[in-house]
Amino acid sequence: MQSFRLIRPRTAQEAVSAAAQGGAASRFIAGGTTLYDLMKLNIERPGQVIDITGIGELHRIETAGEELRFGALAPMSAVATDAVVSRDHPVLAEALAKAASQQLRNMASVGGNLLQRTRCPYFRNGAGGVYPCNKREPGSGCAAIGGLDRSQAVLGTSEACTAVSPGDWPVALVAVDAGIELLGPNGPRSMPVDALYRLPGETPQHEFTLAPGEMITAITVPRRNAGRLSTYHKIRDRESYAFALASAAVVLELEGDRIAQARVALGGVATRPWRAPAAEQMLAGQRLTPELALAAGHAAFRDARAGHHNAFKLELGARTVADALIIAAERRP
Amino acid sequence: MPAPPFADRPRIDALDKVRGAAAYAADMRFPGLLHAMTVPSPVARGRVAALETEAALRIPGVTRILTPADFAPTQRVADLPNSPRPGLVPEIAFRGEPLALIVAETLEAAIEGAEAVRVRIEGAPFSATVDSPGAAREPAPDVSTGDAARALAGASTIVEASYESPTQHHNPIELLSTTAVWADGRLLIHEGSQNAGAIKVAVARTLGIDPAIVDVKSATVGGAFGQKGWVQRQTALVARAAMLTGRPVKLVAPRGQIFHLATFRPLSRHRIRLGADATGRMVGVHYEVDQQNSRSGGFPANQYHDGAMRLYGIADYAGIAANIRTDTQAPGHMRAPYEHPACFAFESAVDELSYRLGRDPVALRMANDTRTDMHTGKPLSSRFLNECLQIGAERFGWSRRNPAPASMAAPDGTQIGWGVACGLYPTLIHPAVATLRIAADGSTRFAVAGHEFGQGIRTALAAVLTRELQIDERRLQILVGDTTAAPQHLTAGSWGSASALPLVVQAVARMRQAVAELLDGRRIAGTLHQQIATVRRPFLEVEVSQVGPGQDSAALQRMRAGGYAVTGPAYPDFTTMSYIAHFVEVRVEPRTRRVRVPRVVSIADCGRVVSPRTAASQVRGGVVWGISHALREATETDPRYGGFLNNDLAEYVVATNADVDEIDVGFVDEPDPLFNSIGLKSLGEVSMVGVSAAVANAVFHATGRRLRKLPIRVDDLL
Repeated sequence: MQSFRLIRPRTAQEAVSAAAQGGAASRFIAGGTTLYDLMKLNIERPGQVIDITGIGELHRIETAGEELRFGALAPMSAVATDAVVSRDHPVLAEALAKAASQQLRNMASVGGNLLQRTRCPYFRNGAGGVYPCNKREPGSGCAAIGGLDRSQAVLGTSEACTAVSPGDWPVALVAVDAGIELLGPNGPRSMPVDALYRLPGETPQHEFTLAPGEMITAITVPRRNAGRLSTYHKIRDRESYAFALASAAVVLELEGDRIAQARVALGGVATRPWRAPAAEQMLAGQRLTPELALAAGHAAFRDARAGHHNAFKLELGARTVADALIIAAERRP
Repeated sequence: MPAPPFADRPRIDALDKVRGAAAYAADMRFPGLLHAMTVPSPVARGRVAALETEAALRIPGVTRILTPADFAPTQRVADLPNSPRPGLVPEIAFRGEPLALIVAETLEAAIEGAEAVRVRIEGAPFSATVDSPGAAREPAPDVSTGDAARALAGASTIVEASYESPTQHHNPIELLSTTAVWADGRLLIHEGSQNAGAIKVAVARTLGIDPAIVDVKSATVGGAFGQKGWVQRQTALVARAAMLTGRPVKLVAPRGQIFHLATFRPLSRHRIRLGADATGRMVGVHYEVDQQNSRSGGFPANQYHDGAMRLYGIADYAGIAANIRTDTQAPGHMRAPYEHPACFAFESAVDELSYRLGRDPVALRMANDTRTDMHTGKPLSSRFLNECLQIGAERFGWSRRNPAPASMAAPDGTQIGWGVACGLYPTLIHPAVATLRIAADGSTRFAVAGHEFGQGIRTALAAVLTRELQIDERRLQILVGDTTAAPQHLTAGSWGSASALPLVVQAVARMRQAVAELLDGRRIAGTLHQQIATVRRPFLEVEVSQVGPGQDSAALQRMRAGGYAVTGPAYPDFTTMSYIAHFVEVRVEPRTRRVRVPRVVSIADCGRVVSPRTAASQVRGGVVWGISHALREATETDPRYGGFLNNDLAEYVVATNADVDEIDVGFVDEPDPLFNSIGLKSLGEVSMVGVSAAVANAVFHATGRRLRKLPIRVDDLL
């Protein structure tokens, strides 16, 4: 842990200007639940930290219109327990409520959570030269491949990296085609949440598509994409305060007793929040049965590739999708 | 005459703890305090060729960096709880071994300084796990009785299976913290510990000073579980830093480092052959156990048998044991260190036997009861295991169980399983000295060997004191964990209560006698405080001591010198053990195969229960940990690198509140007639013994899958 400069801007524009001046050693900080952690582990060594929590406009939760809009600084716990979100959008509320612990959800922001870095133990534990990691030290190699890989990804992996994208919330957002609003040195822009994430490929150190100095200011969710027939189902090594071994965000739209559209995204199994179009296609126009649910789950993992100790994730992931589909369908009034 | 039952009473320090007023070692503040941080070794074995400290010394606030040059060379001795630890040494024996100590004006500077030290290491080949090349199997003494081979040859049914209990770490919430003050020719150490007396002696030895000038205080400990029973490596380092700088120095080891510094529950593998005759009597056992150990670890491998061989009336028992030497820090005692893994294995085997015999697992156990310690032939001073089973079965509703595996299910397909297992733990005793002081001003002070790490020893002492004496509880001071108040022992092995509470009874009798002598026939009304005030004495103090059955004053002297002098469970005329029976329901989800534990019934025979509330809390905690042992906890090592990979509370998965549900605790509460004046036996550790077997047995009953390697996770049941 080294000394750093702390800046506390009052507006988003000030924050972005400070970041532009601070250059590559600059980091935004909101709840600090990832950044402080990684600073203590000597993985992040920022020279300048920009505390954005004083920017009032970024805390707002708006649920009145056809589009839900969450300011980037809204605490995860506040969005999870928002009256409208928890009543009408279970997939969103559950993804937030099943993440981390209450203390962390009180601190962590919904915008910052999108940028949470991997929990790969080789990434987190190696500072000081113990374990090689292409994400932490590009080109040094990957200790997880050929190592203790029970928690590693089975989808979207590369020869350089198999680290799991750890979030729950981003998985739900990808399922519902949510968007983000950004502010950067070149002004504001917006894009789908899905476009925020990169595959590791040969450059696993680059996880996000944010431009240098760019800041997430809000998350937008088309209300009808995240209806009541939805759930975020998460299977983990304990029932609270644990990352997913496998999770599924599911939203169903029904016409009569048939599925008009299914939205399915996976967590805990992939190197980025993972949409499962093969499962969605298999479900469209069908009546949901336990057999179909399981077949759709298996379809989601058709391209999966297991390592030494994580092959169980293919079957667990498929069954998690199946259970999620059944839970969502049972929410039919 | 054993004591009559004790009434429920609140935990004496509960209010302080929930208000955050209880002061732990790291809360102690001293003017001019310096902060320390260690530089941990990144390799598992090797030698420090060079420590480059210039950059670290340039960091503002860094005042000093301790290296091996600051310590006299010490011999590495076998690692046991009381052993002196080396100072800083250039030879690296395990990953995470401290190579240097940074001392700074702020914690931040100390951390930055530690990161800035450059270490050049000549690495050496190492064996990180029991399966690594070079891990050496080293037989330990056998623990056998009778002729197991003959008995097994005559058995009509034999179960043979192998079981594995993984590497686990204690993880008390209070981190390892040491604060040392060197002033006026004395060294004062505040540390969360179970073993203040050993710190006094061991640190003095490492630093080459007289133990008589060292004081150690560990008044309130935030969880210990055996981790804090061992003298820590860091204590002498911090003490040396205080002596070199002339200022108080504090080190709170980060949790990730503690995984590599403190002891741990070693991986153990158990191969059991258990034979029964046609009537269902268990007649012979051949039990081999291997455990992971470090190269210099003294944690004995053969003690896995001490409990297992006494669980039932099995006359012929062959207990084989071995250490597998690896390059790690020393493993050590973690709550019920031997009995817990051994009873997981043994009580799983008994469950397997019950299915082979077609016998109800409760009835099979009850039919194998004994009144004799089969190892020594001595009578058991008390044993109410069958009562535990009987009461537990009734409370649990065991008679409604369909014995067939995979026969019970909920409408949604969730599989339901009911399992039972027993546990036992020796009842040991350590010599101790206590002083009781009753003052004219209305205050009372009781000082004794013991440490308060949440188990409730202060509450239990208060329960006996306030029953024996009319005193103002608000003005009662109970001093434990303080070498300036009374000689301190290693408080572990569930011997704390037996070693302290009967001393209260003795001290009160001695005090009444002393007051009578003081009054010399005069009749003075009122409390003892008032009587002492009337004769114009500021206070009256008595000292009492106690040794275990069969021990003499030499044991007491050993104790006063900071030595280890525990005895039991086999005493000259009897053997004393505590017992427990656990009944567990599991529910296994049909598709994702998550295992939930909706209810547990645990009934303990710990003799007379002195503090019902803290006793029940101990059992609940033990059950939670047993569930966690069965379904959650394992520390992982990548054999290519050594060390422990999942070294934080997010990735080392202990059970949370969401993982446990109803835990119904009961006690037989029958006093032991022989062991001590109160009739109490051991409790803390027996609480968790057998829980993991009961969970695994319930998983078998639910699913038909016999899982012999812990933890049991979804991967195993898909």
